[in-house]
Amino acid sequence: MSVPFASYSSPDLESHVFRVDPTCPRYQTTDGSTTGPSPHVLNAGQIDKDRPSEPRTDDNGQITTLGQLRCHLTGLQDEINDFLTERMEIAKGKKTKLEESREQRIETEIKGLLDGGDDNGNDDNS
Amino acid sequence: MVNLNAVAPGGGREYYVALGLEGSANKLGVGVVKHPVVGKHEGGDFSYDCESQILSNVRDTYITPAGEGFLPRDTARHHKNWCVRLIKQALEEAGIQNAAKDLDVICFTKGPGMGAPLHSVVVAARTCSLLWGVPLVGVNHCVGHIEMGREITKAVDPVVLYVSGGNTQVIAYSEKRYRIFGETLDIAIGNCLDRFARTLRISNYPSPGYNIEQLALNCKKKDTLLELPYTVKGMDLSMSGILAYIDNLAKDLFRDNRKNRQLFDRDSDEAKISVEDLCFALQENLFAMLVEITERAMAHVNSNQVLIVGGVGCNLRLQEMMQQMCQDRANGQVHATDERFCIDNGVMIAHAGLLQYRMGDFVKDLSETVVTQKFRTDEVYVAWRE
Repeated sequence: MSVPFASYSSPDLESHVFRVDPTCPRYQTTDGSTTGPSPHVLNAGQIDKDRPSEPRTDDNGQITTLGQLRCHLTGLQDEINDFLTERMEIAKGKKTKLEESREQRIETEIKGLLDGGDDNGNDDNS
Repeated sequence: MVNLNAVAPGGGREYYVALGLEGSANKLGVGVVKHPVVGKHEGGDFSYDCESQILSNVRDTYITPAGEGFLPRDTARHHKNWCVRLIKQALEEAGIQNAAKDLDVICFTKGPGMGAPLHSVVVAARTCSLLWGVPLVGVNHCVGHIEMGREITKAVDPVVLYVSGGNTQVIAYSEKRYRIFGETLDIAIGNCLDRFARTLRISNYPSPGYNIEQLALNCKKKDTLLELPYTVKGMDLSMSGILAYIDNLAKDLFRDNRKNRQLFDRDSDEAKISVEDLCFALQENLFAMLVEITERAMAHVNSNQVLIVGGVGCNLRLQEMMQQMCQDRANGQVHATDERFCIDNGVMIAHAGLLQYRMGDFVKDLSETVVTQKFRTDEVYVAWRE
């Protein structure tokens, strides 16, 4: 059976490939760490009836091919979700920094104007 | 000339069979429908009379605790985890032994709807299509409601009132499109009712709108209707302001705010209004607005038939009010269906998709199966009608 993989690319990132690591516990379950119910609905008293079933096993106790595929896809989904969340956090951090520096610049300019900096500028030019 | 038999059924059969998958909101529906090959369909507009047989119509609803709505992520998770089980059940009930041979087409909701749940269902549709080698058809959810309503009620060319949790539109057919004559400018009527139900913290089972209808039935002061804003704007309507207004009334009632003289008697300080009265007033007000714009659309297109579709269309009071309006018009008729077909279901997607398929319109490449949250009713080319 071929093993699934996923790749991600964007203008600031050439390519990021997600590959299955069958030894990692993340790839041995159908119950992903990032694909559960929202904490919001659980806090509201929701009983989770939508939990995925366990991977099916054959007579020898081995996970079936389809069961394995489900586990691999669950692991990949978790990897992708973690990766994208991290990127979102970085983007958010960058945005905050940009906003901060913009606000600081505006504040300095206003201060300068209030302190008569504008007049000084004009004087220099005249 | 419309020829609904343009594409022959598979396997030399004398009938078409379609599997329909619906999951644009919190209902996951799977249905199987059968259309016999009928001679009259080769030369005329008989799309309202396909002699459909519903072989199965199964549904599972994602229900949240009282006071909560359904979030896209959790709804998508529900659909993902139940889709295969429901498809198996629907095929079994329909007596489909070999899907690859017995199905002509797999139909899925392309939009409009919530993105994540739509995505969960289309993945299942694509997988089944590849597994069984059966073509796909992407269906507009609103057109699914309209065509199912026409087929069940045999309404030939009605003005359609489409009322649900996500849509409120008055529609009439003209020149190969379902034209929108009027619609909500903000929230849908079902959303307005659902959100009020959340304020009241009443159960979401079987549906918040149904529970409001039952509370309204128990209103003791039907003669003294509580006054609410009435916001018809030309052919359109607006409901967010009404919701904000009645939400505030309900909150004042729960907080026992005796300064609110609309709710509490000036002399005795006793509550004049109950929760049942609020539900009744809200329904009467909203439905009166719907009846008004529907009647105007009927006058505009010179029609005497109304077809009510969508989840809110199950509401018996709405049907009754529409009936009263139609009685005043010459030969006025109201057509509506029960909860099996009003509420989102897989059969309506199968039926509308099969009409599309029979006109030769099906997916040629998987890139055409991308679902979309925005998909207006009038974007669909209605090839199966004259």
